[in-house]
Amino acid sequence: MSMLRRLGLAAGLSTLLLAGGAQAQDSKTFNIWWFELPDSAEGVVWQKALDEFKASHPGVTVNFQQKTFIQLQKAGSMILNSNQAPDLLEYNKGNATAGLVASQGLLTPLDDTVKQRGWDKILNDTDLQLARYDENGVYGSGPIYGIPTYGEFVSVFYNKDMLDANGLKLPTTLDEFVADMDAFKQKGITPLAMGGKDTSAQHLLYTLALSKADDTWVHNFQGLKTQLDTAPLLYAAQTMQDWVNKGYISKDATGLMDPDAANVFTSGKAPIYVSGTWNLGAFASTIKTFKWGQFLLPTPKYSVGSTGNLWIVPKGAQSKDLAYDFIGLTLSPKYQTELANEGGVAIAADPSTITNPVGSTAAKLFTDISSKGGLGFYPDWPVPGFYDVLIQKTAGLIGGTLTPQQFVDQLKQSYDEAQQNQ
Amino acid sequence: MAIARGSLGASRAGYYLYLIPGTLGFLALVLCPLIANVGISFTTWKGIGKARFVGIENYERLAQDAMFWGSIGHTLLFIISMTVVPIIIGLILAAVLFDYISKQFGEGLSSFLRAVFYLPQILPVTAAGVLWGWILSPIGITNTVLKSIGLGAVAQNWLGDPTYALPAVSAVIVWIQVGYCLVVFMAGLARVDPSLYEAAELDGATWWQRLGSITIPMLMPEIFVVALTTVIAALKVFAPVYVLTAGGPDNATLVPSYLTYYHFFTTNRVGYAAAIATLQTLVTIVLGIVFIRMQSRQSEEGA
Repeated sequence: MSMLRRLGLAAGLSTLLLAGGAQAQDSKTFNIWWFELPDSAEGVVWQKALDEFKASHPGVTVNFQQKTFIQLQKAGSMILNSNQAPDLLEYNKGNATAGLVASQGLLTPLDDTVKQRGWDKILNDTDLQLARYDENGVYGSGPIYGIPTYGEFVSVFYNKDMLDANGLKLPTTLDEFVADMDAFKQKGITPLAMGGKDTSAQHLLYTLALSKADDTWVHNFQGLKTQLDTAPLLYAAQTMQDWVNKGYISKDATGLMDPDAANVFTSGKAPIYVSGTWNLGAFASTIKTFKWGQFLLPTPKYSVGSTGNLWIVPKGAQSKDLAYDFIGLTLSPKYQTELANEGGVAIAADPSTITNPVGSTAAKLFTDISSKGGLGFYPDWPVPGFYDVLIQKTAGLIGGTLTPQQFVDQLKQSYDEAQQNQ
Repeated sequence: MAIARGSLGASRAGYYLYLIPGTLGFLALVLCPLIANVGISFTTWKGIGKARFVGIENYERLAQDAMFWGSIGHTLLFIISMTVVPIIIGLILAAVLFDYISKQFGEGLSSFLRAVFYLPQILPVTAAGVLWGWILSPIGITNTVLKSIGLGAVAQNWLGDPTYALPAVSAVIVWIQVGYCLVVFMAGLARVDPSLYEAAELDGATWWQRLGSITIPMLMPEIFVVALTTVIAALKVFAPVYVLTAGGPDNATLVPSYLTYYHFFTTNRVGYAAAIATLQTLVTIVLGIVFIRMQSRQSEEGA
């Protein structure tokens, strides 16, 4: 073997080793990612919309990839900062996610497109509140960087058959809610299913906090405006630990994820589960043995909820027009109605066209919240990494290793540090 | 002579050529990231955009970070569950398989059992972790079985209660690690002269005496290798913790690698994450050197 050939072999091997993920791009392909699960209302309807898109764009190769929320939560900013980003993707709204990548110039501003395509007639200013990010990545003002096509909110899911069997009425106040839980406990049933190492725990906590929160508190908390005023959270923490001590919530919750807790509810072992509307599609398809419904825990104004995740178009996307075509489809009356009929929370469906009672209740509750400006968003939004802090600390609160005071002190420490360093 | 020397030189150069791919791989995948990591640890950076130099600020912060020191404490416990316990169990199992099972029941059964114990090493940690997550869930198999045989009082919230989470994760890690120790020890026993065992048996040595006087001393080189590799693995353990508990509940199972990951990917404090990783690398290198010194001293004494 000649020296030259050996050198060639060595060079070839080296290139092979180093050229890990180069990928050819072609304007006739449309790469789209989302992380809504295939059996969720959004997943089902977007898949239908994508089929129509393929039919109406015969020359285009469509590459769809199912992602998971966690994948994009953890690696999204790095993907968007590389040449591996697709033309269109679903992205978690909020300062720490969409805001961060928008402020780094990784997204296409959509203001002109919104006007050209008439989306400003479908979505109002409140709907676009979480689509706008300023130069610091803070929501509420600045260019539009993403398009929401659905809403979401946290509510109480209840097993109507179990309420009836125990002679209980659907509660309308927090006191009645507690009384019902107590009645279940007296009969040996742990009423609340909960994912204590997942989001449903922090969502109940924040719901309870919002029952003691006014405009100023929510505005300051979400906007990282001042140091954390812990009073509403302390109330929420005390209430939640009290519910654990009284047996409304099992200490075993800290070993459960949300899907486990949802299973406890859908299998009829627990009558109540507090979680988000993202469960609607799965509940509608899996709960066959009992009647169920949802209601909002009463709060003065704010509920845990927001407009849904955003369609975002990466700065370097090759097929932006195709991306806009697809966003337009998902916002169209046809697919908005389909979304509601699949049990999703449509952001702009005509109520008269919705035939599914699940979707129509959800659309009505969402309108109730949004019409009074009561979207309180989520507790983890203000601070990057707060999501994990809340999961760790609520687990400590439920498990009893943290007192409510220690719990809020530790949250305050993380929050205030981020507030000072923003 | 001149011709011979020339051809020798050319063939040497030929060998060096084959080192190029590996060297480039080492530079691209190990050395450059390592240097970049040390560099990043002196900055504050969100992972995208511009990094700002902050000197040793990250390290000062690290010195006072209770989460970090807690995670170091947990690592010490993981050294027990990844190194000490698997070595002890591995030694006993290897001796049982080599000195009892294969004699009494034949080579076949001994090889089969060795493969069975090694199986957890072949399974992807994520898959095994998800399975163990189900097994140890409060509504999982362990508790269901315990309750059905009347031991409901023993049933625990294994991964969700801070008292049990660390031991539970440790137990899963022991299950994973034993196979590795066992296979190395059995390979080591294959070179031990069988006449040693026969002589000891004739002299009336019990099984435990043979373990202490023959098996363990003869296996010292293997024990050092296994201890070194598993201690390093324990210092950077991540996957089992990530899959089973995500560091929870309330950081009861947090380890430095997970803390690095947490700051890198969720708080976007990449500089701080790099500082943790740098410190962790330093500790690993120091421990590695100590072990290799001890090993070479031991083998000199042995020789």
